[in-house]
Amino acid sequence: MKDSSPPPSENTEKWEVQLRKGSLELAILASLWSNRLYGLEILRHLESNSDLIVVEGTVYPLLSRLRALGLVDSEWVESDSGHPRKYYRLTPAGRQRALEMSRTWTRFSSSMNNLLAPLIGEERKE
Amino acid sequence: MTLPAASQKAIDAYLAALRKQLRELLDEDSRDIVDEIRAHILDKTFAEAEPEDVAATLAALGTPQELAGRYRTDELLERARLSRSPTLVLRRILRWVMLTLIGLIVFLVSGLGYCVGGVLVVIALLKALFPRQAGLNIDYVPNQSFSAGFGAGSAPPPGHDPIGLWLIPICLLLGGGILFLTFRFSVWSIRKLRRPKAFTPA
Repeated sequence: MKDSSPPPSENTEKWEVQLRKGSLELAILASLWSNRLYGLEILRHLESNSDLIVVEGTVYPLLSRLRALGLVDSEWVESDSGHPRKYYRLTPAGRQRALEMSRTWTRFSSSMNNLLAPLIGEERKE
Repeated sequence: MTLPAASQKAIDAYLAALRKQLRELLDEDSRDIVDEIRAHILDKTFAEAEPEDVAATLAALGTPQELAGRYRTDELLERARLSRSPTLVLRRILRWVMLTLIGLIVFLVSGLGYCVGGVLVVIALLKALFPRQAGLNIDYVPNQSFSAGFGAGSAPPPGHDPIGLWLIPICLLLGGGILFLTFRFSVWSIRKLRRPKAFTPA
């Protein structure tokens, strides 16, 4: 999403950080939807498929929490690189949760878009 | 795959500090976290197309204090949740029971394997040392009695020994085979049940 609008103010940036933080959980569950991945692969997946800028130090604690909640499972797998990697996959409960969250997200964002329609129209005029 | 000594030192120091910060967590959990962060650092500095500087990788993770703080916050949230949700508590206990149960079964099977294999090897040794007293003993009186067994007594037992000294290679082979298979089985089980050991580059 690259546009020529002026850079956001500091407060908007803070708000955006909160927004990203709140959506990270769903983003991680979604990236595990079709494959098992290890931490760095999840990070790469998020980077290449979204413009979520993820702070590396936040993903691992979040993964650990998702595991404790029973939404993802993890296992250590030996790799060619010489050290084992911890792979994550969705549990049935995790798939269920991801579906629920994505439904809520879609509903929420479409109602927000409705609300924002006049603002977006205003922006086009400028 | 070698790291400059200074980089290795920086990684070790970072992980040691992280481990120290996580000491209030369960031992198993904190080891798991440290191993995962270690794998992340090694992947970023070795395995990627554009290897990153160790210092940059560590900086991206935040200080050990910050990183541990995030884990702790999540752990606290989780504890609060656990105390309210009986099904979560039950599920955790069930996972623990399953792991313990599998461990017990592996222990029993391995124990049995080692015993049987060991006994067979001992029989082969006894036969080698006391060829006349020890051996397979079959006592068979038609229509009256039948007994078969291994024995090692002070006098040659009644009945007859149909295989004689062949007992030694048979028992050695069989016993050795069972011991080997048991060993492989226990090693495999340990690998399956426990996570692989952390890796440190030479």
